[in-house]
Amino acid sequence: MNLKKLLLNGRVLLLILVIVGSILTIIAQGITYGLDISGGVEITVQLEKPVDQSTMEEVRISLENRLNTLGVKDITLEPWGDQIIKVRVANVTEEEANSIIDTINRQGVFYAEFNGVIFATGADIKRVDQVGYEPRERAWIVPFSISKEAAEKFAQLALGKVNYPVDIFLDPPVNSTLIVSREIYALMNSNEFQFVPDAKPLPQRLKEAFNIDVIPYANQSAEEIAKLAQGKEKVILIRVDGELESSLKNLGIKVEKREPRAGEAADEFIRRVLGLYGPYRLQEGLTTGEPHTELAISIGGSKEDIMAMRQAQVVSVVLRSGSLPVKVFVEGVNYIPPTLGEQFRKQVVQAGIVALLVVGLVVYLHYRKARIAIPVILTSLSEVIAILGVAALIRWNLDLPSIAGIIAAIGTGVDQQIVITDELLGGRKKEKITKRSGVLKRMGRAFFVIWASATTTIVAMSFLFKFFVGGLRGFAFTTILGVLIGILITRPAYAEIAKVLLSEKR
Amino acid sequence: MQYIKKSIEVNTMLENTLKKLATADPKKMITYPLVVFLVALLILVVHFPTLGTDLKGGVVVTIHGGNANAKDVESLLKAENFEVTVREIKSITGDTRVEIRASTDVDVQRIIELIKSKYPNVVISQTQFGPSLSRTAQEQSLKAVSLAFLGMAVVVFLFFRVPLPSLTVIFSALSDMTIALALMSIFGLELTQATIAALLMLIGYSVDSNILLTTKLLRRKEDTVEEAYFSAVSTGFTMSTTTLGALASLWVVSQAEVIDMIAAVLIFGLLADFMNTWIFNAGVLRWYIQRGERK
Repeated sequence: MNLKKLLLNGRVLLLILVIVGSILTIIAQGITYGLDISGGVEITVQLEKPVDQSTMEEVRISLENRLNTLGVKDITLEPWGDQIIKVRVANVTEEEANSIIDTINRQGVFYAEFNGVIFATGADIKRVDQVGYEPRERAWIVPFSISKEAAEKFAQLALGKVNYPVDIFLDPPVNSTLIVSREIYALMNSNEFQFVPDAKPLPQRLKEAFNIDVIPYANQSAEEIAKLAQGKEKVILIRVDGELESSLKNLGIKVEKREPRAGEAADEFIRRVLGLYGPYRLQEGLTTGEPHTELAISIGGSKEDIMAMRQAQVVSVVLRSGSLPVKVFVEGVNYIPPTLGEQFRKQVVQAGIVALLVVGLVVYLHYRKARIAIPVILTSLSEVIAILGVAALIRWNLDLPSIAGIIAAIGTGVDQQIVITDELLGGRKKEKITKRSGVLKRMGRAFFVIWASATTTIVAMSFLFKFFVGGLRGFAFTTILGVLIGILITRPAYAEIAKVLLSEKR
Repeated sequence: MQYIKKSIEVNTMLENTLKKLATADPKKMITYPLVVFLVALLILVVHFPTLGTDLKGGVVVTIHGGNANAKDVESLLKAENFEVTVREIKSITGDTRVEIRASTDVDVQRIIELIKSKYPNVVISQTQFGPSLSRTAQEQSLKAVSLAFLGMAVVVFLFFRVPLPSLTVIFSALSDMTIALALMSIFGLELTQATIAALLMLIGYSVDSNILLTTKLLRRKEDTVEEAYFSAVSTGFTMSTTTLGALASLWVVSQAEVIDMIAAVLIFGLLADFMNTWIFNAGVLRWYIQRGERK
């Protein structure tokens, strides 16, 4: 039996190693599915003009901050080229998808508020300088300047109020009623957000500046809450569970729900829900009643403190976002309901299995030999596994076009295996070429065909990969990957296996 | 032993049907596919496949499942003065989906609200493509297709280094794509990013079979051109039927539009490729070899 020799053949061994490695990777990493399979929304955000990389990053952070206040999980924002940002959110409902779209289309609204009074909006921020480190203060600094009117208003408000909290907001839930859990309510009224006992507590500042009512939840009925929320735009439930959401909805009230993310501290959660950055402690120098147009926000931390630096960058973007350098708008939307995606995935798996079986059947009908049909199917199957393994390894988003690409690669793969088989059989049928050199020559011809067609496919597909912004990159990617795995690993291994299996018969 | 007998039967059957081809006049083998190519070209001039939403811009709202039908949905939306076109798509497995199309300036959320209130149990997906996004997609597609084609041509030349056979392979790929496009136009398939990808994929498949034939005939180890042709065409036949089988099952089982479209276009192209490789290219090559021998 040649089996042992076959298994120890370098090419076959490589194939086996690749398959085992791929299976382990798939088990360990799992496969990331694209939104068209897992369900979700993909939004193409267009910038009104092409921008450089740093502006792109600024726009991305600003959008991310604003979308994070919506309470939707797992939002990814990915810049594509110099004018497009792809926003992807998995597993969202229709309403959530729409609120994301609305938020993007609305320009970010920036407010600076002090003691319950809004003293500056986005238009008042005249300039925001580079984030820098100030060794004397041991803090990261975001210098910016505000308009003269805002500076005068602020000077009056701040007179004598040393250490009072200054808040800045981006997209706060204006004119709404927040129903919060007791713990959250206590935290909102704590020193964390108030700094000095004489300052107004956060809920009061919210009420006076933005008409936001903060109400602790104490098992009020839906009707009671509806009454409290009269004239408000919406009710937001913050860490409040139970059936309140649905019963309020039944009363015809717009309700949204916010829950902390995994590992999110309670104060961070509050800030995110409110779109609040800060509060920042008011320094003595600004409380003299003298107007200052040049201001700075400082975030304490060492020079090596990456977290502090990031925070400072976020603040800088927030300050700028009322007047972003470019306008953004939603240019494309692709929404797939999660249930539909699940259905697609099942069908694709079924289709794949059926396609493989059909391939096996057709090959069997042609050669009438199970010893050809079975290796062909197994080789194709191992190709699928290897492609999926690589996709899992690099966390490629496996979407429908990617799967179509896998199928296309398998199609060419089977074709090439047939070329190899026929070359081997052809030599045998005529009984002319029995010497090893003859087999090698025939293999050489088969592999010439295979290399030529693989090269053309790779060349053609790499243009698709390079020039497409859309989802078809996935198609190109898996096709190229499949062809590469085919010519480098599976095809040589199949040739070895076929040589042994076909010669055994004789 | 039974098995071997059967396979010989199949082979002789195949050989008989192909015998005519092998002995046919090369000029005829070249002419007919050329005529088909010209007809396809004519069809495309008269009626190019319509551009899909992703290339033209617009909105598509699709209703999956439920008891919605195109007529009711259309009258529901027309009553609210929406300018929409509605069509119903029935899949082989019996599921229906209703597709609503409109231009980008329409209020999509209102449309969805209306449908949800009338059909509470349906699943709705939506796609929107703004004008500049679709323009970019168009430009990219054109770039990708033309560069891919050029790249393919260069690679084919590099592999064969003989002008005429290389040109024939390249022309076959062009003809495959043209005929597939014409068939798309006839069957009402739209030109979308997905179908463009399929057309690009055709380049790969087409080159596959053509390179096989060209290699077998030009570097033949068999005694005669006819023998080499038989050996190549039987391999090619196996290749095409397996691929067609796989694509057909894909088309039947999956209901995802992207997959269906890609499968359909590839099927069109493979059928065209069968003709272009085994008749047209074979004709050219035989004429080329005969001429070479005469010299």
